[in-house]
Amino acid sequence: MLFFRSEEHIERWCKTWRLDQGAVIPLPQGWELARAWYTEDRREPSWRRRTLEETEAVFAQLGFTSEFWSLR
Amino acid sequence: MNDDLTRWHVYDVTMREGTPPLKVRLAERLGVSEEDTLASLQRLAAARMLVLQPDAGEILMAGPFSAVPTPFRVTLGAFSCYGNCIWDALGIAATLQADAEIDTSCADCGVATRIGVHSGAVVGDGFLHFALPPRLWWQDIVFT
Repeated sequence: MLFFRSEEHIERWCKTWRLDQGAVIPLPQGWELARAWYTEDRREPSWRRRTLEETEAVFAQLGFTSEFWSLR
Repeated sequence: MNDDLTRWHVYDVTMREGTPPLKVRLAERLGVSEEDTLASLQRLAAARMLVLQPDAGEILMAGPFSAVPTPFRVTLGAFSCYGNCIWDALGIAATLQADAEIDTSCADCGVATRIGVHSGAVVGDGFLHFALPPRLWWQDIVFT
């Protein structure tokens, strides 16, 4: 996941590299996604990867509900 | 061998020092051989809990931390380190619950950008681009 100064920069980068544009997330929302995903218990012995359902719940909570974010 | 214990040691070092440990140090902490340590790391990698470098099998990623330099440098009070991507760089501040400065650049025009995380809030402007949908991330996690 890369950082861009603006949506126009993303469009130009995708055009340069002939890639379809994916999901564009403003920095504040990216921070909320990071907070929801990377919790402080990562070092705990009990930590485990999220299930598919738990991951879907994280995405839904943040409003990531388009087909792009579908895990199925 | 307890792979959960291996993972704990990896993250204990990484979250204290900013860089995942080499196999030799991990083996010392676990009190086992490097071969057994590598086997444990390979099982963790197969379970997508870590990403290993090819050849010698040292850790490449202990998400959100990178073991190698990347364009996403994170400076905290205790150390500087690298995120695997911009999301991971933010994730370092999140998982450590610490203030941080993230130095990166626009992937298109190259202009240097500093993003701050102060008292739980992000400071800065810009966008994250997820080129691949989540269901494809692990097809090539390094590309992702």
